[in-house]
Amino acid sequence: MHEKVNRQAMLSLEACVHCGACTDQCHYVLANPDDPTYSPAYKGDQIRKLFKAHIDWTGKIAPWWVGAKSIYTDKELEELMDTVFGKCTNCRRCSLVCPMGVDLASFNRMARGLLVHVGVMPAGVAAVAKDQWELGNQMGVLKEEYLETLSWMEEELEEEYTGLHIPVDKAGADVLYAINPREVKYDPRTIAEAAAIFHLAGENWTMSSEGWDMTNFGLFNGDDDLGAVAAGRLYDAAQRLGAKKVVISECGHGFRSTRCEGPNWAKQDIGVPMESSIFTMLDYVRDGRIQVDPARNSEPVTYHDPCNLARSCGITEEPRELLRAVCSDFREMVPNRAENFCCTGGGGAMSMSEYAPRRLKSASIKAEQLRATGAKVVVTACHNCVDALVDLIRHYKLDMQVKLLVNLVSNAMVK
Amino acid sequence: MHELTPLLKFAEGNLQIATLVFMASVYVLKIRWILSFPAGRDRQTPAGASNAKRGAAFSLLMIAMPWTLASFRQHSLRYAQFVVFHLGVLLSIVMSLLIPYAPRLIHAPQVVLGLQVAFGMAALAGLFRLVRRISDRSMRAISSPDDYFSICLLIVWLVSSAIAAPNHPESGQLALLAYFCLTAFFLVYVPFSKISHYLYYPFARWYLGRTLGHRGVYPLVRDHAR
Repeated sequence: MHEKVNRQAMLSLEACVHCGACTDQCHYVLANPDDPTYSPAYKGDQIRKLFKAHIDWTGKIAPWWVGAKSIYTDKELEELMDTVFGKCTNCRRCSLVCPMGVDLASFNRMARGLLVHVGVMPAGVAAVAKDQWELGNQMGVLKEEYLETLSWMEEELEEEYTGLHIPVDKAGADVLYAINPREVKYDPRTIAEAAAIFHLAGENWTMSSEGWDMTNFGLFNGDDDLGAVAAGRLYDAAQRLGAKKVVISECGHGFRSTRCEGPNWAKQDIGVPMESSIFTMLDYVRDGRIQVDPARNSEPVTYHDPCNLARSCGITEEPRELLRAVCSDFREMVPNRAENFCCTGGGGAMSMSEYAPRRLKSASIKAEQLRATGAKVVVTACHNCVDALVDLIRHYKLDMQVKLLVNLVSNAMVK
Repeated sequence: MHELTPLLKFAEGNLQIATLVFMASVYVLKIRWILSFPAGRDRQTPAGASNAKRGAAFSLLMIAMPWTLASFRQHSLRYAQFVVFHLGVLLSIVMSLLIPYAPRLIHAPQVVLGLQVAFGMAALAGLFRLVRRISDRSMRAISSPDDYFSICLLIVWLVSSAIAAPNHPESGQLALLAYFCLTAFFLVYVPFSKISHYLYYPFARWYLGRTLGHRGVYPLVRDHAR
């Protein structure tokens, strides 16, 4: 803990006055109003009591008075694991409504890291982290599988787009496109759609045969070393290929990890500019490099702000501008932007099946938000959100589809 | 001018100075302690139209802009309580300095009445906060003995401030003595309790704002149409 607590974390651990302003701002609390253990301040206290016991001198002098307590048994470790992995998606909504500026999401991640350090974590978290350490991506996708998928998508597009090519390891490209392994495993059409957009925009682009995964489980399990290694693979690829810019496909945590946190974990200043594909697509539309017809997406559409993009990276307006350009009926859900509620798939929740019933119960808040829009399509810019939204739409029997921005842009393109 | 008893003279003067020096010393140590933790550096290139300084300024001012915090916007009564309570505390601190050193400034009956109303309302706000802490299950779950003690102590102090505000030692010095003894106790107790949150506040908000400003999150963009 001494190694992990920096000044920002220390202040968040010290500054909470237990005012309860965060309580009814958390989707877990709203879905479980009778269980006070879901309150962000309560969850924070489970970590804070360790800090008070081991680092804060008031906790050493009068532990019972300030609520300081260390962990002595396996049961207590399990309880802490249940709190930090199973009752919080690190969505940061509570951090942004705290009058004191307590950033619970940050020190919840820190607590996850401490538990991972001593080998205490949900089985799914251990499995995914292992894949990312050993195979370079979260979904155990082998290099051959990845390259075959790119070839397959290229073949699929050949008839429609003359001369379309998905370049791999092209040196000196203007854009290095990094993706989520979920796209290879479950949704390769997004790769094809992105390729078509790059093709029509006349982009000088490439993908990398190594370091192509922009996702990063280090953000979820609190392991900065994994975070540094995973992000470092992509930085190395960009450097090796001499790419002028890295474009990160739609993924909240992947963008945040690669663009924002990765340089901090790797303790390295990255010289290559990095941007979300949302910006790239928007620039193509603004600059007229691709022509779009919003009438091609005529169903009512709403937008779900991924927590990592809205609350940690400030990306709220660009997706809306893009949506208004490619859809004819865009409706806001309420609340939105940085006040939006989590889809419940954040913080690696989709990999922790033991907490699925809890997650789906808390998803009732999101379901209600979605239902109120009357939209037929919910668009998001994150693969984790896609999975969580599909799950909750099925669970709460909503008549909706989930799409990514790339799906809509591709569909709206005039060839 | 009515002659003060030696005890009240001591309580208003040397006791306050000694306890203030004590509090300041502990705060110096606390700030040194805060600064002994390494400040994390955000290495990412700036994003969005904002910047770290703008974000930090916005973050520090959010408390005065309740519309920027959903928690305040949705509970405007709680925000009003917060303002009234903290204003009362601030006025009481100021009064503890004015009575011994510039009593003429709070001599006018209108000023005394204004102070008493402010202290009374602040004590009432404190009482509401205490009731919420006791009656609300989720508040009970997060409350430590320090939380209960601090709010009780502040309510008592605010009530004693209201009684002491006329500053009429000639009609009995007990009220003033109680007020200054409580103030002295506060000055010693505060650095060790949650009441010292105001020391952490600027730091916590500064660092959060700096990071979120650098990343283009602060100042927040809201959907004003809704």
